[in-house]
Formats: sequence, C-alpha cells, structure tokens
Amino acid sequence: MPATNGSSSSTDSATGDAAQLWRAWLSETERQLNGFFGEILGTDEFARLSGGFVDGYAVIQRALNQQMERYLNTFNLPTHSDIIELGERMNNIEERLASLEATIRSIVEQSGMETTARVTPIRPSRTRRPRSEA
Amino acid sequence: MATVRQSHRPVEQILETAQEEAQRTRERIRKGIDILLARDEPPVGVTPKDIVYSRGTLKLYHYRPMADTVYRVPVVFVMSLVSKPWILDLTFGQSFIQYMLAQGFDVFMIDWGIPRPEDSHLRFEDYVQDFMPRSFEHVQRETGEQDFSILGYCMGGMLALMYAATNPDAPLKNLVTAATPVDMNGMGLFKKWTNPKYFDVDRLIDTVGNIPPEMMLRSFELLRPMDRWGGYIRLIDNLWDPMFVYGFRIMYKWTNEQIPFPGETYRQFIKDLMWENKLMTGQMNLGGKLVDLKNIKIPVLNAMAQHDHIAPYDATSPLLSLVGSEDKEEIVVKGGHVSLVAGKNAIGRLWPKVADWLSHRSV
Repeated sequence: MPATNGSSSSTDSATGDAAQLWRAWLSETERQLNGFFGEILGTDEFARLSGGFVDGYAVIQRALNQQMERYLNTFNLPTHSDIIELGERMNNIEERLASLEATIRSIVEQSGMETTARVTPIRPSRTRRPRSEA
Repeated sequence: MATVRQSHRPVEQILETAQEEAQRTRERIRKGIDILLARDEPPVGVTPKDIVYSRGTLKLYHYRPMADTVYRVPVVFVMSLVSKPWILDLTFGQSFIQYMLAQGFDVFMIDWGIPRPEDSHLRFEDYVQDFMPRSFEHVQRETGEQDFSILGYCMGGMLALMYAATNPDAPLKNLVTAATPVDMNGMGLFKKWTNPKYFDVDRLIDTVGNIPPEMMLRSFELLRPMDRWGGYIRLIDNLWDPMFVYGFRIMYKWTNEQIPFPGETYRQFIKDLMWENKLMTGQMNLGGKLVDLKNIKIPVLNAMAQHDHIAPYDATSPLLSLVGSEDKEEIVVKGGHVSLVAGKNAIGRLWPKVADWLSHRSV
C-alpha cells in the first residue's frame, strides 16, 4: 500500500516536474534569445540599416503615390489627395456646426429660456468619503 | 487480494491520465479552430458608457456609475495616441475602469479614436490646447464640478503633463501618470533606431502622412522579437485551458490592433522629444507656451513598471524630480508596460493604490 501510494504520487510529481521544467526552459530560452537579438538590434549598424530601409520604403511609396495619382487622374477618378481634401472640408463643416451649437447653447443658458424636455440621467450624490474616514 | 488491488492502481492511473489527455486534446482542437476562425472572440471594452462629447475621431465617454455615492472630483482617463483604449477596460473582472467605478469614482475617458488621413496635420498643440480643454469643459458640464483629476497612461500621461504644465491655473486637482516616459535618453532601442544620423523623419512623414499601423506594430515587436513565437508555443501548450486562451486572445487582439500615429505629432515627437529631449530640459514649446513641468504643483502619483520594455524605467523614473509638487509619490510594480495597468498584477497592486491615493484627494 505505502509503495503504491508512493509510486502514484511520484508519477504525478514526475509529470508535473517535466511540465515545470519545459516551461522554465521555454521562458529562459525566450529571455536569452530576446537579449541576444536586443544586442544586435541596438547596434549602430542596425540603426543605419533600419534608417535605410525606412528611406527606401518612403522612396518607393512616393513613387507609387505619384504614379497612382497620374493613373486615377487619367481615368477621371478621385485620388487619395481628393479624398483627404474632402475629409478636411467635412471636418471644417463639423467644427463650424459644433461652434454654432455651443453658441446657441450659451445663448439659451444665458436667456433662461425653457428648452425641450430631455431625460436627465440619475447620478449618485457626490458625497463619498475615503474608507479611512468612514 | 492486496497484490491484485495494488496492480490495478497503476492501470487506473494510466487510464485516468489518458482520459485527461484525450479531453485536453479535444479542447485544444476546438479552441484552435475558434482562434483560426476568429470565433467566439472575447468581449472587450464592456463597461456601459455614454458618449458625452465627440469631435472628429475623439470621443469623451462618461461611464455609468456602479456605486450609490461617488467622490466629488471626477477622474478623466487620458489614453495614449497610439493604442486602443480598451486596455483600461479589458473585460469582465479585469477592467481598471470598472474597478474605479466600483470604488466610487465618477469616471470619464478620452478616446482619441483612429486617426484618418486628413488628421495627419494634428500636432501636440491640437491635443493639449484644444481637444483636451474642450473635453474637460464637457466633464465640468456633466458633473457640475469645476475640479477634475487626470489619469494618463503612456503617451496619455505625456499629454496630461503637457496640459498640466501649460495650464497651471486650470482646476486640475490631481494627476496620475502610468508608464509615462519623460527622459527620452532612457528609451532604449527606440532611441537608437531614431538616431538623427540615419532616421529621416521628414522624408517619412512627407511621404506617408500618418505612420501606418503595421510600422507601429513591427517596431514594438522588434523590441522583443521572441515574444510572439514564445506566445504561440505557450498557447499550443495551454490550448486546453479556456482561461489561458481567453486571456491570450484578449492580449493578442490589443497588441495586434495598432492604430496610425498622426504624422505631424510623430514629427514633433521625434524632433522635440527623441532627438532634443525637450520635455526633460523644459524647452518644449507648445503654441508659444513653454512646457515647464515645474509649473505642476498639484498632487502627482507616478506609476512605473520595473520591466517595462516600451517605456523603460530609466525613461519614466525622473518624472517626480521634474514636477514642482510637494505632494508627490511614486509606485514601482514588478511587471511590464501592459501588466502595470491590466491583469492580475494590476488588480493586486496598482489599482488599489491609485484608488486609495485618489480617494483622499477627491473630496
């Protein structure tokens, strides 16, 4: 009996130990590899490489942008710039509406005029004290 | 008899173990298919709220109360420009917002939204001197209180510092910053990659406008390149565990759903902060106003993560030395950039500390 009990607990603990070992190995390996790559990625050479990559990306993107604008103009279709301009104009309209709204609200509040009824949400009273003072 | 009983035990155990493994394998397959098909995604940003102000992509949320009484002074969460805000309102039982509501705070959040191409001209001035003051006006209108507190996370904390420093007369009662870098010389690999000798920020911004979300994602991933693969291996190992999978899917979703960085703000961030460290030296100029953190005299609580690889400790730790407050405190938590504010670590350490600190200063 005691031997059987011992062997059952040793099976469970062996399985648990193996899983624990695996997880510890995984974490340690991840940490070491991150450290290793971190050292490489922190070098001046990598900074030069990544700066060059970003420059190259910008050059290609600019060429693509310009080419696409030309094609879309040729087919009389809206370009990216056109859409952005439209967006900016809508922004301006929204800003002006918000400004008008604020002005009207201010006039109404100052005049004491009654407005259409609106549901006022029920809010708790602002009387709470810290627990230490309770 | 004893011998027969003893010989059955190992067989029973083997059968039990085999049964358990079979069950786990079934769960692994089921969960694996859920993930591949993006089925049953965990809900995020679940706390009920109302939009009380919106402008462009900005939304100001007022969260519905969870307590019978609230502290007089509301708290406004100011999120980073470059990540989705629901990290602070993760999911049921893991929401900083919900925790604060339950502790009796009146909670608002500024969600900057996802920048559109036409937002590429926005600068720090727009956020700090326009959007934030307008939002705070609405907080005052909603609450009937002049005073408010700010809790800024990561770049949200930087915006909060800039606002507080350039508006010393504003009715800002308390300031809490979490994972907020101030000394860009401590920004580790980000500092090295944006070396002005090699990084032409003008060419990049003039070409793309907003920094694309893919570029943001890859740059964060490069800080710890093995994290993604280690995460996948752990996921396969634990696919049978629904709680593990739930947590993994939420964090995976947040990490991978990056948003564009407004172009002109990014240009300012690189030139004024990364290259010239102007926040640290007090030389940052926003629309004619100097951002001198010594102007901040209100109570400040600065929370930092010891192993933060995005806003390293070296970058966040000088904050208290820069402000002019007498009532100032800091808390350093074991953990990383995200676990500082979300997850078990945060539930046990940061949240109660913030709630307690603010409770004494919000009456």
